[in-house]
Amino acid sequence: MATNRPVGGRDPLTTRVDGSRIRSDLQSALLAARNRDGGWGYAPGRHSRIEPTCWAELAFGHSKGHPPDVDLIRAWKRHDDWMVDVPGAPPNIAFNALAALTFLQERSTVPLAQPLISRVIQAKGLRYRQSAALGQDNSIQAWSWVDGTASWVEPTAWCLLLLKKVRAQSPRPEAAERIRVGEQFLFDRVCRDGGWNYGNPEVYGQKLWPYVPTTALALLAMQDHRSHPVVIQSLRQLQNDVASERSVVAVALTIVCLRTYGVVTAALEQTAIELSAEADPGNLLGTAMMLYALTDTREHAAFRF
Amino acid sequence: MSGDTARAGLSRRDFITTVSFSLLAGACGRRFDPQRFHVPQSSVVGLFPASSYAIDFADLIFRGFQELGTTLTGRRVFLKPNMVEYELDTVINTHPHVVAGAAIACRRAGASEVVVGEGPGHRRDMEYLLASTGLNDQLREQRIRFVDLNHDDVAVVPLQSWFTGLQEIALPVTLLDSDFVISLPKLKTHHWAGMTCSMKNLFGTVPGAVYGWPKNPLHVHGIANSILDLTATIRPHFAIVDAVIAMEGDGPIMGRPRPLGFVAMGSDPVAVDATCARVIGLDPDKIEYLQPAAEFLGVVDASRIEHRGESPDRYVTRFDVVPALEHLRLSR
Repeated sequence: MATNRPVGGRDPLTTRVDGSRIRSDLQSALLAARNRDGGWGYAPGRHSRIEPTCWAELAFGHSKGHPPDVDLIRAWKRHDDWMVDVPGAPPNIAFNALAALTFLQERSTVPLAQPLISRVIQAKGLRYRQSAALGQDNSIQAWSWVDGTASWVEPTAWCLLLLKKVRAQSPRPEAAERIRVGEQFLFDRVCRDGGWNYGNPEVYGQKLWPYVPTTALALLAMQDHRSHPVVIQSLRQLQNDVASERSVVAVALTIVCLRTYGVVTAALEQTAIELSAEADPGNLLGTAMMLYALTDTREHAAFRF
Repeated sequence: MSGDTARAGLSRRDFITTVSFSLLAGACGRRFDPQRFHVPQSSVVGLFPASSYAIDFADLIFRGFQELGTTLTGRRVFLKPNMVEYELDTVINTHPHVVAGAAIACRRAGASEVVVGEGPGHRRDMEYLLASTGLNDQLREQRIRFVDLNHDDVAVVPLQSWFTGLQEIALPVTLLDSDFVISLPKLKTHHWAGMTCSMKNLFGTVPGAVYGWPKNPLHVHGIANSILDLTATIRPHFAIVDAVIAMEGDGPIMGRPRPLGFVAMGSDPVAVDATCARVIGLDPDKIEYLQPAAEFLGVVDASRIEHRGESPDRYVTRFDVVPALEHLRLSR
């Protein structure tokens, strides 16, 4: 298992990672773009949304060495216990799982996570009839993005992360079953050469490509199976693919993932710093994720279990 | 719709919201309200030769606007290209030269603002797609604003037809606040929908940060139904189709490049799509979303479509399709 292989296309021995200025710039950019309600949109001036706000809260809590301020997230409207950041739109299950993971970072807000955990346990993607066009098991009901649709890799990974995170503290049999199904789904949807895309490994017999961010996220959710051949192959695929990756979001998620697996990321962090320096300042999700990734004081505790 | 709304000082968002409440009340059981739509007696579609991506697309598209009598004076134009995935040597996406050319042509035609926006259904990572496709360089060079529709602010608006059975949908505010929407697709076969062109391209307007990747509610409620409801609600004012090198076979991602050598343009997206379907050997009357579209959204009947530029006969061919779609072929 190639857990100690450096990634990022550079020799880590000759690379100096001095990200303090970049981290400071990322923090300043995020603070400047914070909305009056205390949250963040996906871009400056846009309405506060669950996902960028959670990442920003995690990053700031992380970088200051104290837990995130979750007042805004706490104040968001609820629909059947789900949080909804767009009035009238369906609750986004993946981002609710992320919010619960954020709540779990602070003892005082752990109770806020409980209803979300219960909803995640109950939530199921639709069961579909088998299709000759898709080489996958459509009967597996993991997690969908929104209620009433099929299961996909990203929401499944977020919900798995959440349920595995709380498994040790409060084991629940129904959660254990959902974890089993979620893992079954990810093993079924892995691309032929390892890694994951949004959730179809092949269509009409043609293999589809894995993506860096979805692979990193799925691997985070499968960090307790690091000896499994699928995980080993996917980790290798991720390390290979990220070398040519130029996306802040993808690189940030990969750093978090690889650190969790004990992979040396110094060279990739240098790439990340360079990417951050030239990145679109309007990408607040990327800014928050990168700040979180480049801040290692607590070893990304939110996503470790 | 845009001309009327612009004159009335209403944004598309205001207009869609304003007209809907009374309509919904009277629309029970109907798939659309015929009072709300007008299918013209005839539509005009231009096919303009483009032998390669090295030509001046700004010039070609501007001439196309002139030929078709399209004026954009003072309009805030929203350009919606098709960007799904990137893989070297494939033709999945609207070519960046066509996108940049269209934006420049819109400015020349008097647009007060031109914004390009897309919300890929597979790749969440817009940065990756913009950089890898080369579109980012084109946009920066021309100082054209790009909006990631997957992550834009959204407003929930009532649907203007009800094929999906849904009543409303969240759409990006940048799209809703524009007053001239141009669908800018790549012409491709599509292994589920038969063909993807200016109407199917509208799937990319549905925000992933609300509905996820892919935009699965659109599949669950029927791809054809969703295409119809989105087209009826967004009402694109114009279509510019990149058919310079199209895609045949297992599209929209895994198909093969197929040079066709033209750009199709027109103010009736249904007529544009019907024409493109015939060119690639598919029968628009058999494409699930085009047949109902003829009832309320635009012209499908070939005898009611006038052509400018080249005759479609010059380009007519037979695209490969996946076996499940053989039944869509035109009988010649």
